[in-house]
Amino acid sequence: MELKLKEIHDKKIRDILDERAKINLPVIEKDASIQSLLSILAARDHVWAVDKKGSRKVVGVVTEKDMLRLLAPARLPKYVFGKKYGVSIEYGTATKTEDVMCKQLITCSPDDNVGDALQKMVNAGLRRLPVIDGDEIVGEITAHYIIQILLGKR
Amino acid sequence: MFDLKLLLLELGLALILARLLGYAFDRAKQPAVIGEILAGIILGPFVMGNLFGFDILSPSINSSVEAIAYIGIVLLLFLSGIETGIGELKNSGKKGLITSAFDVGIAFLFGYIVGGMMGYDFIHRIAIGNIFSATSVGITVRTLMEMDALHTNVGNLILTVAVLDDILGIVVLSVTLGKGSVEMLLLKVLIFFAIFIVILYGLYKFQKAKIKANIPRFVLTSALAFCFIFSALAMSLGLAAITGSFFAGLLLSVIPQRRRITEFLHQVGDVFFIPLFFVWVGASFDFSAIHGLGTLILYFIPMALLGKIIGCSIGAKITGFNNRDALAVGVGMMPRMEVALIVATTEMSMGIFAGAMAHQILASTILLVIISSLITPFALKLVYKPPAKESNATNA
Repeated sequence: MELKLKEIHDKKIRDILDERAKINLPVIEKDASIQSLLSILAARDHVWAVDKKGSRKVVGVVTEKDMLRLLAPARLPKYVFGKKYGVSIEYGTATKTEDVMCKQLITCSPDDNVGDALQKMVNAGLRRLPVIDGDEIVGEITAHYIIQILLGKR
Repeated sequence: MFDLKLLLLELGLALILARLLGYAFDRAKQPAVIGEILAGIILGPFVMGNLFGFDILSPSINSSVEAIAYIGIVLLLFLSGIETGIGELKNSGKKGLITSAFDVGIAFLFGYIVGGMMGYDFIHRIAIGNIFSATSVGITVRTLMEMDALHTNVGNLILTVAVLDDILGIVVLSVTLGKGSVEMLLLKVLIFFAIFIVILYGLYKFQKAKIKANIPRFVLTSALAFCFIFSALAMSLGLAAITGSFFAGLLLSVIPQRRRITEFLHQVGDVFFIPLFFVWVGASFDFSAIHGLGTLILYFIPMALLGKIIGCSIGAKITGFNNRDALAVGVGMMPRMEVALIVATTEMSMGIFAGAMAHQILASTILLVIISSLITPFALKLVYKPPAKESNATNA
């Protein structure tokens, strides 16, 4: 198994990317309502937000953890700055996906090594990276997916 | 002489008391910051010192806490910048910009007039204007949440203007408090913003670059280092340290690691450095200054509150709000908190206020903070009735 993990590290992301997963990527347009966002999140643990319907240009992401924060009772921190503390589903200030998504993404490209991508995920505390080719999302790398490969299930 | 034992004791007592009183105030639906200031007043020379002869946190004995407090300010403004973000500026729109311009302009003017009435010098009048133009809407946001009115036009405008106010207030502060002649100062400010734009451009480019080296926690360390160096740069250009750290924060808000940096800063800042700043402010509160306050306080607090109400109301009225809503925006922008205290202490550290005057201004600002955050919830509920929730019903 150790040998196999090393092998996986040296592979290009392009080589391990699943074609089926590409069709099945969870995406939503950024001006979709919170309700449609939640209906996707009921089944998936994250959604990539794209700029408009039919587009593959990723502009944000909403994860389960983000949602948790938005579903819990809104609580103000001690020091309040900026607009983001006013954004809440409870108080009706968040109505679109755009309002709640994380806009700054850490991404990888199909030509990166899997090892580097994993390192990136560890450094940034992430469990998933969008694979971006040019401007468009072509797939995603998740911790689950890597485990499946390691166990020979993919 | 540096006394480690005393410093450790001070830090321990200050941190725990600030946390407990902060929590108590939070439970009482008051800003935790006031609790932290109160912790400082209790531990400081004027309560513990006078009652028990237990002299800690006294500025004359130990200046290490002061150093930590100043780092707290720098971190607080850095956080403020990074959480505000350059993106917010683009989304703020015309209404926000107009209201904010009137708000900061008129509040500043009122501060200047108060200085004039007290017979202060030009520089002191401007310094008071700067204290007046700061806003912290934490208490307003809390009240609007209670009234379930955060999603209304009024709530939205208050949130937007609060963001712009911080930025505008800090720009005004940098321009008006710089040292030297007008031409030199303008040149320095231009140099500062030129550096700002070059780094901003560099950061956008840098994101495209592929970096192979993997130094653990490099992003966090370099973010902190960048904040401190940029603040030092601002100071060497004759601007305030907080200007530097606020703009350093704005710069780093464009990089993808923004969230990680904010989380890290919240851990370090909220637990250690920032509460110590408010404790230190409380400990510097000089009760003997109150006797000399008389007329100052008579002008200072009402004018500070009126400046915001009038400025914001005019701005909101111009952008198309009706009278009642415009007044609600004005009242909602009334509270002063962190930023006003930071501006006042920065002005002290720059040597603009000194001696008895410094104590009086700080005491007035602390009283302004407490009074404004006590009356805002009542005043806001009095003047503002949120519209019936029909827009929300369709979304829910």
